[in-house]
Amino acid sequence: MIARTSGNGIDKGFFRLLDMIPPLARCTRNRGLPFIISWAHRLSGVLLVLFTWFHIYTLSFLVPAGAYADKMKLYELPVFAFIEWALALPVIFHALNGGRLTLYESFRFRGDEVLLKWVAGLSILYAGLLAVLMRMGNQNVSAGFFWLMAAAAALSAAYGLFARIWRTPHRLSWKLQRISGAFLLVMVPAHFLFMHLSPQVAKDAGQVALRMQNLWIKLVDMALLASALYHGSYGLISILKDYAASKELRMAGMAAVIAAMMVAAWAGLKLVIAI
Amino acid sequence: MKESYSLVFNIKRHDPEAHKSWMQTYRIEAGRILRFTDVLRKINKELDPTLAWNSSCEHAQCGSCSVVINGKPMLACELLVENAVVYFGTTTFTIEPISVAPVLRDLVVDLEKAYDRVHRIRPFIIQPSKNPNQGQEYRISPRRMEGYLDATRCINCFCCATACISSHKGFLGPNAVMASVVRIMDPREDATEDRLKQLYSEEGVYRCHTSKACSHVCPKHIDVAHFVGLAKERDFT
Repeated sequence: MIARTSGNGIDKGFFRLLDMIPPLARCTRNRGLPFIISWAHRLSGVLLVLFTWFHIYTLSFLVPAGAYADKMKLYELPVFAFIEWALALPVIFHALNGGRLTLYESFRFRGDEVLLKWVAGLSILYAGLLAVLMRMGNQNVSAGFFWLMAAAAALSAAYGLFARIWRTPHRLSWKLQRISGAFLLVMVPAHFLFMHLSPQVAKDAGQVALRMQNLWIKLVDMALLASALYHGSYGLISILKDYAASKELRMAGMAAVIAAMMVAAWAGLKLVIAI
Repeated sequence: MKESYSLVFNIKRHDPEAHKSWMQTYRIEAGRILRFTDVLRKINKELDPTLAWNSSCEHAQCGSCSVVINGKPMLACELLVENAVVYFGTTTFTIEPISVAPVLRDLVVDLEKAYDRVHRIRPFIIQPSKNPNQGQEYRISPRRMEGYLDATRCINCFCCATACISSHKGFLGPNAVMASVVRIMDPREDATEDRLKQLYSEEGVYRCHTSKACSHVCPKHIDVAHFVGLAKERDFT
């Protein structure tokens, strides 16, 4: 065993599992498990930004409805259903781990080992629940009610963090990144859950368009769009600032990220307003 | 328990005159309680007097012998051969210089450059606060001191900065940030706002992503991430 020599119960099993992947075991030994988790957070974040762009592009086929229906047929294929489920893993991991980091950085919660177990446990639970819902495919919830509950929880999380960090001397961009993260922590997993709690409402172009005509849903979608794009672009720019070798490269990269986000924001906004 | 081990040291070498870097392998027999600095000295004596490395106190107090051993930043003077064999599960070791400053030769880095970051935060009292006990020594309550005593044990070995997930391109580094936090927590210092301004700059806490590798590798077992976390929270109580 090279990842860690002590531990019991779940820990022992986990580190044994880690030892089966020597590069990860070496990295855990040399930098610690939170370091691996940090890289996983970064990589899942990049993946989610790319998916957000792709998602907005796919949704732009909502008009005309026929093209959207053709796209949705793809998701009926088992392989696409699996990819759709698999995508929920980086979503829930990134969300919960972001919550862990917030508790560490802004609420002085230092019980990281316990929190990491919660992140792992809740991620598995969420992925399992999603798989069951996808398999059943016969659920039905009211979009308005579901998003009212989700938005109330998300806004509570965001407000809790706002109250904690707003008066600190941190720069505004950092505060907004953290607050948008707290909002997304609830909203994005809820978004995935909603798709499978109401499969028809999510996949039928006519139904999607009808749902999006509701002002409340429009507001929810716009809030999701704005926070996801802001949070994602801040994350990408932060990675650039960490690793870009020269100031020129950093500036060029930042300009590219901001341009891409503006295009995605414009496409998303146009879609939400047009329907 | 073996009395000695047949070790293989793959050492990253650098010749500044020839602008050349390469890995060189040394095979050497070493006693189990020799430290890595002893083994490097043995290499100098028995195999290759041109191999350059750095050390001073060899008692884990000066931080000048930091190297990266099998991927982990460590103090060469603190690592016994037997402990290394058990910890890494091998008798083959790859030894590289730490990555926080330019390499001068082989395992020797320009510590002056590395220290630039620490000097920038001014790890001393900039603006002394008024002593409540005029004419006497400045007394700090043990309870207050307990909050930052651990951090004062930092030896600036730069192991934390080498291990950090953020690169060294734009970050002051965990040890420098921690040194500033220590001064903020020190009641004898009044320049808190000055220090906070630097901590909340682009090269300050925004480059920390709480990967906690700093705490993991610290040879003095300081929870460096905790002190950087205090700066992020802006609550030093």
